[in-house]
Amino acid sequence: MSTEEPKLFLLGSSHRVASLNERELISLPADRVDSFYQGLRALPGMEECLLLNTCNRTEIYGTGNGSSPLLEVRDYLSDFRQLEADFLDRHFYQHEGEAVVRHAFEVASGIDSQMVGETEILGQVKEAYEDALRRKSAGKMLNRMFQKSFQAAKWARTHTGISRGQVNLGNVICELTRRIFGDVSSSRLLIVGSGEVAELAMVAFHSRDCREITVTGRTFENARYLAEKVSGSTLDFESFRKSLHLFDVVVTSTAGNDPVLSRETIRSALSKRPARPLFLIDVAVPRDIDESVSELENVYLYNMDDVSAIANENLKSRMAEVDRCRGALAHRAIRLWEQMINQPSPPS
Amino acid sequence: MDWNESRDLLWLAAILYGIGLVSGISLVSKNNKLVSSLLPLGIIIAGFVAQTQGLAIRGELVKGCPLGNGMERIQFILWSLVVGYLIIRVLFRLNLLGSFAAGAACIGGAISLSIPSLDFAYWKKDGYDGIFPNHWVELHASVAIFSYGIFGLLATVSVMYLIQQKALLAKRPGSLAPFLPSIQQLETAGSRLLLIGSVFLTCSIVVGSLDWTRPTGSVSYAKVVATIALWLAYCSLWYLHFRQKLFGQKFAKICIILFAVAILSLGVVRSAVTNDSPPTPQSPSSDVN
Repeated sequence: MSTEEPKLFLLGSSHRVASLNERELISLPADRVDSFYQGLRALPGMEECLLLNTCNRTEIYGTGNGSSPLLEVRDYLSDFRQLEADFLDRHFYQHEGEAVVRHAFEVASGIDSQMVGETEILGQVKEAYEDALRRKSAGKMLNRMFQKSFQAAKWARTHTGISRGQVNLGNVICELTRRIFGDVSSSRLLIVGSGEVAELAMVAFHSRDCREITVTGRTFENARYLAEKVSGSTLDFESFRKSLHLFDVVVTSTAGNDPVLSRETIRSALSKRPARPLFLIDVAVPRDIDESVSELENVYLYNMDDVSAIANENLKSRMAEVDRCRGALAHRAIRLWEQMINQPSPPS
Repeated sequence: MDWNESRDLLWLAAILYGIGLVSGISLVSKNNKLVSSLLPLGIIIAGFVAQTQGLAIRGELVKGCPLGNGMERIQFILWSLVVGYLIIRVLFRLNLLGSFAAGAACIGGAISLSIPSLDFAYWKKDGYDGIFPNHWVELHASVAIFSYGIFGLLATVSVMYLIQQKALLAKRPGSLAPFLPSIQQLETAGSRLLLIGSVFLTCSIVVGSLDWTRPTGSVSYAKVVATIALWLAYCSLWYLHFRQKLFGQKFAKICIILFAVAILSLGVVRSAVTNDSPPTPQSPSSDVN
């Protein structure tokens, strides 16, 4: 039975301590990860190591042989990325022992993410772990900690509300589409104009296998450029109103001052598809769609404020769950850490 | 055969349906899809078994399909509603439909059992020799009540539609609506249920019409008018929906109103004319063996 406390450490930087510009300086380019690992493993006292390198965080997890090689790792990173010691002090955090386990649990479950509860981070942590396994740089300690962190992440998503509701505007629009039409992939999307939210919606639909995406706009080149991003089609701006009945979801985001879609235009489109609902999202300022359209039956009209309010409400409900989740994860982390200290690790 | 035993089983069914409703709604937000869908289903099936057993015992007691008083008719409609849900579940999945169906079966079942005057002992009448004069009438009545069960399920789907639509129009995330099926799916389900219910009601009327050709007085005029009016209403509704003249919110509201009318008309369409004696209220605890 091992009696010596394992020298588990973490050196990292994330959106919490570094801005985007600073993270760009810290983050490791994909083609330099191999050489970084080589140098890292060769550091004196280093036993196990794992690099988590995403757009929002760069973290080095490791264990030391005898003493914690945290100082050596810090110097090595400073040399490798040409970072000043002062910069490291300001934009990095370091943990040892149980705090590392707790941090790993929080990262994997998404409560330490910029967008609380997002699920992409779990996949990134798993990839980083598998990469470390391939390189044979993760051993018994890190294996145990990361395996448990995946379980903790699953528990957090199942038993707390940290992932409930969509918080990305594009995803909110997709979720509303699902509640109206059921299947997002078979819905037909029309983007009128361009803009960030329209593009977010387009990307969100595309990622859900929606293949009927059409873009129209006053500047045909812009519309075509946008459509090409998702292999969508384009429609002539002057005549798109005549084809409006062919679409289920219409996102308008033009820069003009006059409404693009009047009540009469929508009424005419509805008459050609009376029983099928029409979902309109007007994210333009000033508005593109006559507000009285919302009075028509089977029309669901949302504007920028409506979509943002839903995203904010979902985010608020996620945030309300963070403390509860953090407390539960801390308990799990303490339990695991005590096991790691007192019990021999299972074979890796 | 114990009258109390059948009531106890029907109470048990109502309680199990209630648990099915609560568990379904409380588990819906959980990520574990297997638990959140199978556990409420298991409870609903247990409730269904208890209700079937309760109705079977009552059927033996009254010597026929138990449709002789208000409690029995409501129970049979609720039983049909749950049967409809279990069949539809195989054909197409609608999230939370089971919970809503269980909720309707729980509330309806509890109300029917709580009002003693609804469960009068019509079979205790002197010379009682079965609830129906012949098997055709029994078939007519049971198919008609089964179609009411399907219309009950249609009303349930319509309630779900209105909840989803209200949440969408209110532009709030809502606590329940995100887990409900889409309004498009609910409308499609409603359309299918309306067709199925109308077909069953038509079959019932065809079978019943054989009996109506019997001598005058065997069937009340009010019953014929109420039944035909309801059948016409449902068929017209189906036609208007099919031709896309009536849909969405109006369609859902009319489905609910028509079901309420159908339930209220049950007082008029008592099928067993010969057994329509004035109700004899009896304590649910009394044994009529």
